[in-house]
Amino acid sequence: MKAARVFQLAVLALAVVSAVQAGYWLFDLRSNAIEKVQSARTLYQQQIEAAQALLDGGASADRVQHLLPGVVVVGGRASLAPDVDRMLLAEEHKRINQYAWEGAFFLLALALCIAVISRALRAEAKVLQEQDSFLALVSHQFKTPLASLQLSLETMALRPLSPDQSGTLIDRMLSDLARMEAMVTQILESVRLERGRVDLRKEPIEIAGAVTRIVAHLEERAKRERVSISIEIPRGIYVLADPLAMDVVVRNLLENAIAAVAPVGGGTIVVAGRRIDAEVELSVRDSGVGFKPADGARLFEKFTRLHPGGGSGYYGTGLGLFIVRRLMQLAGGRVSAHSEGVGRGAQFTLAWPAAQPEPTPS
Amino acid sequence: MTTPPATAVLVVEDDPHLAAGVAENLRAEGYSVHAVTDGQQALDWLQGSQCALIVLDVMLPRVDGFTVCRTLRERGDNTPVLFLTARGDPADRVRGLEAGGDDYLAKPFHLQEFLLRVRAILRRWDWYRSASATPASAVLRFGGNEVDFRAFRAQSWNGAQQELTEKEAMILKVLAEHPGEIVSREDLLERVWGYDVFPSTRTVDNFILRLRKMFEHDPANPRHFLTVWGVGYRFLIDGETGARPTPRGEAAP
Repeated sequence: MKAARVFQLAVLALAVVSAVQAGYWLFDLRSNAIEKVQSARTLYQQQIEAAQALLDGGASADRVQHLLPGVVVVGGRASLAPDVDRMLLAEEHKRINQYAWEGAFFLLALALCIAVISRALRAEAKVLQEQDSFLALVSHQFKTPLASLQLSLETMALRPLSPDQSGTLIDRMLSDLARMEAMVTQILESVRLERGRVDLRKEPIEIAGAVTRIVAHLEERAKRERVSISIEIPRGIYVLADPLAMDVVVRNLLENAIAAVAPVGGGTIVVAGRRIDAEVELSVRDSGVGFKPADGARLFEKFTRLHPGGGSGYYGTGLGLFIVRRLMQLAGGRVSAHSEGVGRGAQFTLAWPAAQPEPTPS
Repeated sequence: MTTPPATAVLVVEDDPHLAAGVAENLRAEGYSVHAVTDGQQALDWLQGSQCALIVLDVMLPRVDGFTVCRTLRERGDNTPVLFLTARGDPADRVRGLEAGGDDYLAKPFHLQEFLLRVRAILRRWDWYRSASATPASAVLRFGGNEVDFRAFRAQSWNGAQQELTEKEAMILKVLAEHPGEIVSREDLLERVWGYDVFPSTRTVDNFILRLRKMFEHDPANPRHFLTVWGVGYRFLIDGETGARPTPRGEAAP
């Protein structure tokens, strides 16, 4: 990495030096060409002076012109032949034009090289900076479960504990480990999604059935947190999406909704779906803690956690909604969040391209 | 040192595991613990109740830890605060202490270190309280200034009313306990903050500058808070009488 950077910088320096050198050469060649034509003119001037001397000495105009072909004699005065003058001018222009074109080409090529290399260097620096801040954020996210784990272990080491107390600490540690494992999975997933290294399928999915299955998985946790989930989706609406990605997206929104409702002592979540023209809209509405309307867009950025506490036993990583948005973008859909304000619930709306119903839905 | 029974500690931590772990350990050490999960709850609770120490997380829902601490200090609540946070870089550490915190511990932390620091903060406060317990020790008079250690208030020689932070009051207390003697910066740090909290002993100098501003007729030519160059400070109740310049080379009054 470092060697590559040194190489890039060296090439960049070389290109800049070459460009300056080429510019200097061009300037030098141009001056040289002008100088050459100038010295040719000086030589011709000497011929004219010699011709004039011959003419003044009584030589005939014909003889003088024969001896000095670049000179014409008009009315006893010697001057430069017009074709020679034209030839000199043409030569001068030809050289200067040649240098201008060739020079411009080389300078352009070099400038292009410099631009490409410095762009690559800048992009690399940006990536490095992003990686740094990502790392800082990730390590920060890990510190809380790590602290909890360390505290539990040191408590066990420091104090005599009853089997019950030990059991509680062991459960706590296992849950901390599960939380860190979930974070690792989400971090890897978000990095993979960010780099665009995913191939999403597009197949028709009957949305009411898919949502019902996901809700069934979360039913137990919802009951524990005193949250009731109702589904209001007509049968027979199909979206064009990747089944796994859709599962992740809907599950994420539902888990968030449960976590938002739990702190206010329970409430409701309504999942509603409808088809609007070429799209299918799915909304997850909860009666939970809500958020400031201005925070709606920020929610989908990495590591945004408006309610770090969440429900009891729930730990947000700050990556869930980032993953949701990325998956929706890749699926050609969209996601938005809306809340009337803190304490007034929230609604997340997903939209996928609609699919024609399969001829034989299974 | 044995901890007096049921010294009350408020734990403000939004992570349920960490809060439970900290609370259980403090209880096992004999403290009585009240735990809340966000900054607003902490501020609300503290309006109706008192405790000897607050263990305060920084990243909290609703109101963050720094704001909680600043709000308490503005209310005139001098309850000591131990910050517990995942943000451990020096800039944050300084921010926490500037907000009025007494100590700062980065997560993940060692349980025994945490308990030691809790004990150290409480010991410093025990010392301060017992050293200000009698009517004679609660008030310090020097050079026309009058300091009330229990109320954290003072009246300057020019009649100006001063609010003292707990650190200013503690520094003054340490100096007043050793009138005329040299007190090193390290001693002041250790007695008032605990040794390893601040990155530099220069911090003490800044506090001394503040005290001079409050209590000296001419802060540039101090007569009560004298610098002993390279060592620390000497506090004179009656004030320096000679026209001798201080070892720092400041001009004589």
